[in-house]
Amino acid sequence: MAFPHRLDAPELPDFSMLKRLARDQLIYLLEQLPGKKDLFIEADLMSPLDRIANVSILKQHEVDKLYKVENKPALSSNEQLCFLVRPRIKNMRYIANLVNADKLAGRFRKYKVILTPQKFYACEMVLEEEGVYGDVSCDEWAFSLLPLDVDLLSMELPEFFRDYFLEGDQRWINTVAQALHLLSTLYGPFPNCYGIGRCAKMSYDLWRKLEEEEDSETKGRRPEIGHIFLLDRDMDFVTALCSQVVYEGLVDDTFRIKCGSVDFGPEVTSSDKSLKVLLNAEDKVFNEIRNEHFSNVFGFLSQKARNLQAQYDRRRGMDIKQMKNFVSQELKGLKQEHRLLSLHIGACESIMKKKTKQDFQELIKTEHALLEGFNIRESTSYIEEHIDRQVSPIESLRLMCLLSITENGLIPKDYRSLKTQYLQSYGPEHLLTFSNLRRAGLLTEQAPGDTLTAVENKVSKLVTDKAADTRWNLAQISSPGKITDAFSSLAKRSNFRAISKKLNLIPRVDGEYDLKVPRDMAYVFSGAYVPLSCRIIEQVLERRSWQGLDEVVRLLNCSEFAFTDMAKEDKASSESLRLILVVFLGGCTFSEISALRFLGREKGYRFIFLTTAITNSARLMEAMSEVKA
Amino acid sequence: MRPVLEIYSASGMPLASLLWKSGPVVALGWSAEEELLCVQEDGAVLVYGLHGDFRRHFSMGNEVLQNRVLDARIFHTEFGSGVAILTGAYRFTLSANVGDLKLRRMPEVPGLQSAPSCWTTLCHDRVTHILLAVGPDLYLLDHATCSTVTPAGLAPGVSSFLQMAVSFTYRYLALFTDTGYIWMGTASLKEKLCEFNCNIRAPPKQMVWCSRPRSKEKAVVVAWERRLMVVGNAPESIQFVLDEDSYLVPELDGVRIFSRSTHEFLHEVPVASEEIFKIASMAPGALLLEAQKEYEKESQKADEYLREIQELGQLVQAVQQCIEAAGHEHQPDMQKSLLRAASFGKCFLDRFPPDSFVRMCQDLRVLNAIRDYHIGIPLTYSQYKQLTIQVLLDRLVLRRLYPLAIQICEYLRLPEVQGVSRILAHWACYKVQQKDVSDEDVARAINQKLGDTPGVSYSDIAARAYGCGRTELAIKLLEYEPRSGEQVPLLLKMKRSKLALSKAIESGDTDLVFTVLLHLKNELNRGDFFMTLRNQPMALSLYRQFCKHQELDTLKDLYNQDDNHQELGSFHIRASYASEERIEGRVASLQTAADAFYKAKNEFAAKATEDQMRLLRLQRRLEDELGGHFLDLSLHDTVTTLILGGHNKRAEQLARDFRIPDKRLWWLKLAALANLEDWEELEKFSKSKKSPIGYLPFVEICMKQHNKYEAKKYASRVSPEQKVKALLLVGDVAQAADVAIEHRNETELSLVLSHCTGATDGATADKIQRARAQAQKK
Repeated sequence: MAFPHRLDAPELPDFSMLKRLARDQLIYLLEQLPGKKDLFIEADLMSPLDRIANVSILKQHEVDKLYKVENKPALSSNEQLCFLVRPRIKNMRYIANLVNADKLAGRFRKYKVILTPQKFYACEMVLEEEGVYGDVSCDEWAFSLLPLDVDLLSMELPEFFRDYFLEGDQRWINTVAQALHLLSTLYGPFPNCYGIGRCAKMSYDLWRKLEEEEDSETKGRRPEIGHIFLLDRDMDFVTALCSQVVYEGLVDDTFRIKCGSVDFGPEVTSSDKSLKVLLNAEDKVFNEIRNEHFSNVFGFLSQKARNLQAQYDRRRGMDIKQMKNFVSQELKGLKQEHRLLSLHIGACESIMKKKTKQDFQELIKTEHALLEGFNIRESTSYIEEHIDRQVSPIESLRLMCLLSITENGLIPKDYRSLKTQYLQSYGPEHLLTFSNLRRAGLLTEQAPGDTLTAVENKVSKLVTDKAADTRWNLAQISSPGKITDAFSSLAKRSNFRAISKKLNLIPRVDGEYDLKVPRDMAYVFSGAYVPLSCRIIEQVLERRSWQGLDEVVRLLNCSEFAFTDMAKEDKASSESLRLILVVFLGGCTFSEISALRFLGREKGYRFIFLTTAITNSARLMEAMSEVKA
Repeated sequence: MRPVLEIYSASGMPLASLLWKSGPVVALGWSAEEELLCVQEDGAVLVYGLHGDFRRHFSMGNEVLQNRVLDARIFHTEFGSGVAILTGAYRFTLSANVGDLKLRRMPEVPGLQSAPSCWTTLCHDRVTHILLAVGPDLYLLDHATCSTVTPAGLAPGVSSFLQMAVSFTYRYLALFTDTGYIWMGTASLKEKLCEFNCNIRAPPKQMVWCSRPRSKEKAVVVAWERRLMVVGNAPESIQFVLDEDSYLVPELDGVRIFSRSTHEFLHEVPVASEEIFKIASMAPGALLLEAQKEYEKESQKADEYLREIQELGQLVQAVQQCIEAAGHEHQPDMQKSLLRAASFGKCFLDRFPPDSFVRMCQDLRVLNAIRDYHIGIPLTYSQYKQLTIQVLLDRLVLRRLYPLAIQICEYLRLPEVQGVSRILAHWACYKVQQKDVSDEDVARAINQKLGDTPGVSYSDIAARAYGCGRTELAIKLLEYEPRSGEQVPLLLKMKRSKLALSKAIESGDTDLVFTVLLHLKNELNRGDFFMTLRNQPMALSLYRQFCKHQELDTLKDLYNQDDNHQELGSFHIRASYASEERIEGRVASLQTAADAFYKAKNEFAAKATEDQMRLLRLQRRLEDELGGHFLDLSLHDTVTTLILGGHNKRAEQLARDFRIPDKRLWWLKLAALANLEDWEELEKFSKSKKSPIGYLPFVEICMKQHNKYEAKKYASRVSPEQKVKALLLVGDVAQAADVAIEHRNETELSLVLSHCTGATDGATADKIQRARAQAQKK
């Protein structure tokens, strides 16, 4: 079942080096505060930190007690306090308050703030404004890439999505550029670069600048990874909004995979406690089913269980020597496999139970209808019912967005009525959520006639031309506030239907789509839809450029931000040329990863994924939601 | 008539000449950075560059100003160059480093009534001391104390010291007494090295040490009007006649002797040279040199000499000696013949590492080039090594000898950043000071020469231009700076903040943008600041993010300024949740928000906000009248809560008031009543009118509450399309099968079939299969 890699599939580079690098740097920083100290860690950083340096390593470097950064007074009595936090103003205020409280109490301690992945001037500003800048030392832990799996690197920056795509805040772009720079220093230059999206272009330019400044260090090196592809999440919201049906995606949707591991509750472990399970290629059972359509997983697991039983059964009729061998060598592996198997079977059962309860089939049917663009009225009523029944605020929102994007915006009547219904069901504060979604282009109202008027056309052209002139800043336009607004709503016109036709995203199927033997990437959505993001990547790699995709690029509103850059002299080996690093700015889903892994197997490539964070529809919607504090 | 200050190179080439317009000068001296320090009588020190360009001045303090300068010394330590002053009140003031001026007044010598006969600065353990002689006594001044010292083993009968000299390294001291006796010992005076009686009682003009680092021979040179005497640990002295007035400068490895027409260097002959050139020397180096000469003459003697060296196994040593001796030679011919000898000797050695030979050749080429009288830097080999190539390049740059410096860098293949680029940058910095050339020409010339050489920072050059008051030139130069981030700090300094902002944005470095923003915020008034932001969306969003967390009021002002009513509305909505506690306050906030939404022509949001105000007030009333928790529930939940609390009338009133659509109300009631398990009320409700949501949901919800009995009641009312589903839900497989067969619907049939389990439904399954078969026959 699990598709083996082609024999000539290229080897993946060893990314564990990134972990070692991050660990050494952290230890160095901790050692800068000699002696015993208490470490305050931001909640979001706990899991990533655990993957880099566990508690015993921290203890070795004289970390005494660990605290979570939360809005409570610190109980620590240590004379040295160290804070490990993301560069957020909120955190800085927390630290400043703590220091000021100490001062009031006449207490003097040593404080060290380690900001990761980088320092921001605004943070130091806050410390200064609060009058504690001189009392603390600020350091930077440039930990921006966490290898979650052999082919998956995550920056663990879920806020990237909201910060950039909603607030227009560009500060993380520098972090991305630094991360890419680190990769090219460690694994050689990338001879072929492609990208699409405004953020991709900015990150790429900044990265190039970094490389130029730090001249010639990587120039002589042989590239290990032949291609890099940068892609903005807003190029393809549709894929991220769909329900996932590939096992790994489904586990993520159901249990939330956090930093490469998942907490299986008692209903999965069939015991009375929860279990934290690391999900990666090392889990042999998981590795075989992660990319499978869910409908196959159960069958596969039961087959596996039978095989396992057969292996256990071999004991019978063994002589003493064979038995000794069996116990010392195989038994442990079998037991391990057994444990994993029962866990995944438990997870499957739990997923099945949840999905059947919520009429999962209906939901999937509606999604497919939306993707294909038929029975729109029926789908709209389905969504309305979904809202009226208060099924789930996030789910309802997701369906509304999916409808909006696939239909190029809701018709004004639906736009108003669905929003009204939603506010009645889930609370009026979501008025702000809708304003956010509109700004991000996720939930919009159809312009009358659904075609650009001549004037709008002109405006949009003016704006894009200007944008091209001044690279990405829309400087010096007479009344920029207004035009940028017009620009953003125009630019976010999704044109999904047209793109879908152009790129053939909805496969024509004669008869049943055989999910056991997938034919194309559409299998990750039960054969109904090829993920747009993955299709773009496939097409560009095939052509080695954007040539012939002009129409698609135009429909994506990205004429200025699609780029190709090839190295003149080609020193790349044929093996490295089949390794492709795909960078998702704003997050990628497990479905996309599975789809590209499938594509890789078909074409003899290997994909490596770099994402700002793993995402799914719920995470996207939560990022856009405004909930009362 | 005013005195003239003239500056010459070491080879006597005039570098500068200027009329002295300040007060009388007591002492002149060069600092380690080759700046001329002129100590005036009033304690002011004027600093000039090599080319007579005035750099700066500083004062040695009030005490010096009042009592005038009697005598001054410029001295060098590992920290830089210092100035020591003896005032008219016979007190000492010194600064150990003129680059980082810290004045130190030394303690008083008790009972001192006249000037000391001689004095010097000593440096020991990083502290500068003063040693002075008054009559037969020697005093040592440190930070706080004045102590009397006596040199070990000083000959008796001394009534006065006429001269004292401290060695270049501050390790040795020499004293010249009025009896013509010279004492030489360590600077601590605790150990005597040797003594000498020259029998000349006339006070010498100068006395300086002359020795080589690590040499065992210590010697001092004493100069009178026309006589020069070298004295060391030997019964005899060496004497020279001076033809002209001369001046001695002690250096690392010897003494320079300047006169009006000559510049000579007196030093101890290095060991290697001595070994080779001593008459009838049989040292390996001497033999090798001889061998090579014979070889050139094609004489067989060459072989004999070589054999002699080889027999003693001294060929390596011979080659090394020749290389070393070549370094100490000043005549290229002699250098060449020694190097030729070394090269010749090398041929007979198997594995002689070539780098010492190669390096010596390179060093000598550099040395010969700079010793040329046009350049006039007659460094010895040891001095050159001590100085390092970097400092030498600096000195060339200081003399504006850019082409030679670049040639040397290229010849030595120095990395561009340390070598050529650095020199070009210096050149550019010099160029911007040429005030008679127009900004355009300077900028173009610089760009032509520098292009985009790596390691050249245009912003540094621009900073220099700005330092010279050429702001326009600085801006032009900044244009050439490829890294826009580098341009920002200088632009800010030049108060071109808006330009700085666009450059910062161009650099993509948000931190830099932020720095500029804060600058702008302080520099501009609020209105202008906001206007600037408006033109820079990237900066604006960055600043907004900051305000959102740190300065909420500013955020509001920003939206106001932009007439951004939509965001203003959102802002007040957020405020109504976040900061307001009281209901009245929240409603007021919402009202402001609604007004803003109207202005933004967002009627939907305005209406929704007004509804929310209405709801809030109502919830408040409900809480007052009914108790319980209503505030902040959604409309849906409010109605549900009312039904659950048994306030059906109120619930219906609310639904009417807020125009809750029928469908929602049915879903809502259904869920609430089932939750209460009020089956009677549910049935009544179901019959109140035709259900807008059908009856399948009734079946579903009853089954969810495990009430099959109630569920069956509704199953019969379900519309035909959903009937099969409903029947299956209540578990009536047989009837479901009948309906499906009746509908002749294939999907329904398979759905029923999939629900047929085990023996109980066996008959039903058969029935379906039969129906299917029949359908197919037709």
